[in-house]
Amino acid sequence: MATPLKRVRGLGAAHGGTETFWRQRVTAIANIPLVIFLILSIVCHIGASYAEVKAYLAQPIVAVLMLALIISSAIHMRIGLKEIIDDYVHSEGCKIVAIIATTFFAGAVAIASTLSILKIVLGS
Amino acid sequence: MVEFTLPKNSKVTKGKSWNPPAKNAEPGRWREYRLYRYDPDTGENPRVDTYWVDMSDCGPMVLDALIWIKNNIDPTLTFRRSCREGVCGSCSMNVDGTNTLACTMHAEDAKGAIAIYPLPHMPVIKDLVPDMTQFYAQHRAVEPWLKTDSPTPQKEWRQSREDREKLNGLYECIMCACCSTACPSYWWNGDRYLGPAVLLQADRWIEDSRDERTGERLDDLEDPFRLYRCHTILNCTKACPKGLNPAEAIASLKRKMVERA
Repeated sequence: MATPLKRVRGLGAAHGGTETFWRQRVTAIANIPLVIFLILSIVCHIGASYAEVKAYLAQPIVAVLMLALIISSAIHMRIGLKEIIDDYVHSEGCKIVAIIATTFFAGAVAIASTLSILKIVLGS
Repeated sequence: MVEFTLPKNSKVTKGKSWNPPAKNAEPGRWREYRLYRYDPDTGENPRVDTYWVDMSDCGPMVLDALIWIKNNIDPTLTFRRSCREGVCGSCSMNVDGTNTLACTMHAEDAKGAIAIYPLPHMPVIKDLVPDMTQFYAQHRAVEPWLKTDSPTPQKEWRQSREDREKLNGLYECIMCACCSTACPSYWWNGDRYLGPAVLLQADRWIEDSRDERTGERLDDLEDPFRLYRCHTILNCTKACPKGLNPAEAIASLKRKMVERA
């Protein structure tokens, strides 16, 4: 039988969200040139051999840009997935499980992709 | 989870046709209205009833037609109205698929039969009357009044013309809730997201040069749900019958949050 005002005030403001909001914008801006670079890289190597692609990715500038793309897109993906969960999943239990799962997923994609680039660069 | 279908007791059924005009009726004289009807006392599901309004005997606005129906056909039809000139915000409803004020919408602006429903995704009290309790409590929660710590001046709190102009586009809001109830984020998370109308009101007091609690006001809004559920869908701006831009007010709040971070 809480009053409407009590319900609206709830547990109070979390005093957060601005950093996430800003980070999502920054990574979105970073992703524009980085994704264009990725698309151009793929288009330029259509029909290229495995060795040629590997040699291309091993170049320091290419590797740095690819690593930047991995980190930026993984952060962006994690924020975006959490936004979707916050929007549509209202059961607290499901919500926590979904947020943990998306965090692990984004982390796993980032780590595996980073390791792949590093292996190519370091030649192991 | 988000609900994509209506609950069983909210599914709309076909209602009755009240006063179909005679077959030899003068063409264009009778305008068809399909109105959402719900009576909590009967325990029945809501229905859509059809009425025909004699346009030769009725004013040009949608609200005129509703009043005509209530006066001439069905006195049980329930809706809110007061000023009939777009100032009070009482007659906000979903007309022809868009949230708007029935009193400022010309019936001529809609084609064919005019469908009228209550504001979307709000609990319905009766017919076209939604329960605005939560919406008003949210408005109350942002404390929409001047808050100062400086000693109250002998006369008025002074404000420059430039500072007063900053309130243009904000102070005109009549709290009709057309914007908030057009917002999908408010539909899914209206219990925690404040919605465009209330955020515009919050910005109105944050922008006010006389108000001295800007930081506290921003503190109370800084929340992933209260403010950041806005995903810039812009339905709010499209729906506003007063031509205001709640999306811009929300963007202004977000800018201030980033500025002080």
